[in-house]
Amino acid sequence: MLQNESQTLDEATMSIQPDSKTRRYDRQLRLWAASGQAALESSRILVTAGSATSTSVLKNLVLPGIGHFTILDAAPTTPADAGNNFFLNANASIGKPRAEEAVPLLRELNESVDGVADTRDLEALLQTDEGRKYVTSFTLVIAHNLPAKTLEQLSTLLWQDPTYPPLMVVRSAGFLADFYIQFHEHCIIESHSETAPSLRLTKPFPALQAWADSTDYDKLDPTEHAHIPFALILIKEADKWRAEHGGALPKAYAEQKAFKADVRARQRKLDEENFEEAEAQAVRMWTEKAVSSDIQALLDAPPVDPRSSPNAAFHALLQTLRAFVHDPAGPGCLPLTATLPDMKTDTESYVRLQRMYKEQARVENARFKELLKEKFPDLPIEEAVVDAFVKNSHHIKLLRGRPFGAFDRDAEALASALQIFPKETATHLAFTALSALLARGTEVTAEALTAGVQDLVGPDVELPDELDAAVGELARAPTADLPNTAAFLGGMVAQEAIKLLTKQYVPVNGYCVVDLVDSWTGTVGAPQ
Amino acid sequence: MIKIWSMKKNEDAAAKKRPKTSAAQIRVQKDLTELDLPSTMKTVFPDPADLLNFTLTITPDEGMYKGGCFNFSFQINNNYPHEPPKVKCTQKIYHPNVDLEGNVCLNILREDWKPVLNLNSVMVGLQYLFLEPNADDPLNKEAAEELRKNRDQFLYNVKASMRGGAIKGVQYDRVAV
Amino acid sequence: MAAAVATNGAAVAADWPGRYHHIDQVLDTPGPRTDPSFQAGDEVKEFLRDKCKILVIGAGGLGCEILANLALSGFKDIHVIDMDTIDISNLNRQFLFRSKDVGKPKALVAAESIMTRVPGVKITPYYGKIQDKDEDYYMQFNLVICGLDSVEARRWINATLVNMVDPENPESLKPLIDGGTEGFKGQARVILPTISSCYECSLDMLNKPTAFPICTIANTPRLPEHCIEWASVLEWPRVHGDKKMDTDDPEHIGWLYKTALARAKEFNIEGVTYSLTQGVVKNIIPAIASTNAIIAASCCNEAFKIATSSAAYLNNYFMLIGTDGVYSFTFEHEKRPECPVCGGEAVDLTISKGMTVDKLIETLVERQDIQIKKPSLSSPTKQIYFQAPPQLEEATRPNLEKPVSELVEEGGEITVTATSLPFSLSLRIHYT
Repeated sequence: MLQNESQTLDEATMSIQPDSKTRRYDRQLRLWAASGQAALESSRILVTAGSATSTSVLKNLVLPGIGHFTILDAAPTTPADAGNNFFLNANASIGKPRAEEAVPLLRELNESVDGVADTRDLEALLQTDEGRKYVTSFTLVIAHNLPAKTLEQLSTLLWQDPTYPPLMVVRSAGFLADFYIQFHEHCIIESHSETAPSLRLTKPFPALQAWADSTDYDKLDPTEHAHIPFALILIKEADKWRAEHGGALPKAYAEQKAFKADVRARQRKLDEENFEEAEAQAVRMWTEKAVSSDIQALLDAPPVDPRSSPNAAFHALLQTLRAFVHDPAGPGCLPLTATLPDMKTDTESYVRLQRMYKEQARVENARFKELLKEKFPDLPIEEAVVDAFVKNSHHIKLLRGRPFGAFDRDAEALASALQIFPKETATHLAFTALSALLARGTEVTAEALTAGVQDLVGPDVELPDELDAAVGELARAPTADLPNTAAFLGGMVAQEAIKLLTKQYVPVNGYCVVDLVDSWTGTVGAPQ
Repeated sequence: MIKIWSMKKNEDAAAKKRPKTSAAQIRVQKDLTELDLPSTMKTVFPDPADLLNFTLTITPDEGMYKGGCFNFSFQINNNYPHEPPKVKCTQKIYHPNVDLEGNVCLNILREDWKPVLNLNSVMVGLQYLFLEPNADDPLNKEAAEELRKNRDQFLYNVKASMRGGAIKGVQYDRVAV
Repeated sequence: MAAAVATNGAAVAADWPGRYHHIDQVLDTPGPRTDPSFQAGDEVKEFLRDKCKILVIGAGGLGCEILANLALSGFKDIHVIDMDTIDISNLNRQFLFRSKDVGKPKALVAAESIMTRVPGVKITPYYGKIQDKDEDYYMQFNLVICGLDSVEARRWINATLVNMVDPENPESLKPLIDGGTEGFKGQARVILPTISSCYECSLDMLNKPTAFPICTIANTPRLPEHCIEWASVLEWPRVHGDKKMDTDDPEHIGWLYKTALARAKEFNIEGVTYSLTQGVVKNIIPAIASTNAIIAASCCNEAFKIATSSAAYLNNYFMLIGTDGVYSFTFEHEKRPECPVCGGEAVDLTISKGMTVDKLIETLVERQDIQIKKPSLSSPTKQIYFQAPPQLEEATRPNLEKPVSELVEEGGEITVTATSLPFSLSLRIHYT
């Protein structure tokens, strides 16, 4: 039977089958879509060493398809490098420049990625204007186990201007590690939050309210009754509740319970799943706010002038969002999202509901664009960006960062972190102490590390017991770049880099601390 | 290597070797030998040594389908009870919740399956379909429509179909006993 | 297998001075959380590099990473099993494969690739199913790491390793390290068969696969997914009869896509695309290099710590969620007493050679420590006596008169189920 059809099918499938690039990236496009992929492909990444950890990070960036990478490394391959780095030609690479040996093996992973070995010395580059210009020309800089002084210079340089690339600082020894992303601010439109956006059931738009009003339970036959969308059921029940409770919705737990019982009591038969759904979704009636507290905090923060920000579009859109919420002609809340969850109903009702939401979302989107034009007539923003912003306005995020090391100089924050997150904070501080010892060329012992940590936090702060576990491990293997730790960090750092580059999902803000003895991770020192 | 065996010494009951029967097999044995079926349901094993493939026969003694004998094939795979058994009606019957290919609309066979359910729950659910056919979530839309709009006509159709008659041009299998 | 032969025996020669500079830092010195039994120095290195034999199940997203990590960590005798061949959609993460390898067996290409890059390591690939191998095969390994995407295969290897544990033989207990990922999320866990919680114990933690009510698919589709399921679940068998749907065949996917699209049009439903069609019918789970790297590294790190005792190992579950910052949770998953694989009781029972099945049942019912009602009995290969259903009761009734020894060999197993038991009881039969 298929035989006959296959002639025409062949032609049809040829044209609908995705191209080879889409097929290659299929499993990741399902996470960040073509927009995220385009952002990755336009990125240029600088990695400041060819260590095992560095090449592991790069592997996980080359595979998904970044645009370009440069390994900046003046060092020759040592026998130790040849033993723990998969992206070297084993003992055949010994003595040859590490960067030059690693680049071709990384490029092999993905023909569409461009990669370059640069054997100049980072510290020397940072001393010249030309060198500094070069370093700041990338989209992102990643530095693993850089000597304290070089790291200080590099992080200071990259903090100087908000348009300079973010810096990822990675430190590891033996089974322990931490990493930090230095950025001024990071704006996310597509955070891929898993919380459902508001369906605005407590404040329905006119068409939706009219539908609810015109729905008369008594006039429906059993099949229709069993297929009323839960959205309508809840709107009707809320209207009734308000009428009986002086215009208020359920607040106290007992009221919420009573409201749910009312919904359930409308069931004609026990197996009417739409009423079960309505009962389960009733929580929307008392938890949904016009503007969620996260977004309200963004709207309340002092506005940033788009003209002076590298994230001009985001700030202009954010200010427009505030205007939209306060617009007397508007709904008095965030723009409606057209995405409807599935619900137990018939096709016709669902499609009708979906069209209603789409139409209302279109109207509000148009109003948003008017406001944007009024407020920022000269600022060019791509329409697709505006649409994405309006669509995701319930879940936008704005992270504000601090320079690398600021946490270590903030005695108050350290003391409090040591109390709340003792093992995470202790491990992080042990790394800072380790960098200092290695820079001085002093022997790394548990005692010296503990003394270093005490210096950082001040003499009056009591150190937690957890510090012994951290300093003991660092003293045991102060310069060990273990293959498994390198691979673990390679995944973590690349993952955060991808979130940073695609501006999708939410990257870690603070020092992410890793302990592969007890196998835990934690985050400390997030800016307040 | 870590000395796992020293931990082992402290364990008592678990330190016995377990049988080679797979978890799915044991679970099916448990489900089958604890079946508590009314006289209206019977299992038939074409190969008694194969517990994973059998037929369930339902002969309702009340309701609209009284007088019929309905066969369902059960196929259980080695991922049971993580996956539900695959159940199909092997006859062409006139029923709102069974389509002409033998697919059955029973929530616990698909979207609401969970490993705590067992073969008994599935069988009881199937029997319930013959006592209370559900017109609101149909698979055979025409049968459902008839049940909703004209119960007498529906009943007539059921009887006719069970005798092997045709309804609206569709020939049904004879299932009357 | 030319490469395997070439490197075999040359292992020691390949260890250039300084090769293990990094790893030796943790093998020469214990840390604060290292077990006192740790034998720092040559003994542990010799075990890791010359004696330890490790099995990797799966040479896909996790498997490629696992093989590379193990090789660099100093494991020299690694076996790998995988039944799949390389697909173009693997190339965004399975870093041992290139475009030219598409269609070749994963296990073979992966083994070859590692042996070329890491001198002195011997990787023995097997292109096939884990079920092809028996207990004798699994018995040769010290450790097993699993990077699979199938629940069924995981249940099988878990049960096999639990069943292999022989109280008389310490070597029969093989630690199982299991990893899994889905998008930005993943988990790694350590299973000590019969000692800690096993894979079956946590089966209820799994997300169940999305399934839509069949009547929704048939009559009230609302989502594009409903139209796609209609095409694959209802229309395919109706139109193509017994012809099996092959979700890897672009022609089949094309047919499903067009069929779903037509239905969506009929019902005014938007959003049916080729990619969604593929995603729904193949149950595609998003997968990226970075998450796989994290989870595989975690698995290998546990294998390394268990093999060397150089540090405490994971007790026993590490869960990672990377969508919003880096969130992870490390906890001890509890063993389930009623777990059908590792739970329940096992009893040694010594009976006379002449004892009949009937008498055995009577004994079981009378025994105070077991307290069992209406037991049904089977051996791994056959039914002994079933209380129900009637047909099977009848079929097994003649066995009641037979001596147990005719049905079960010395040391053989009987699985007992009964309503009064939480799951099952296993008897090991000995004869006087």
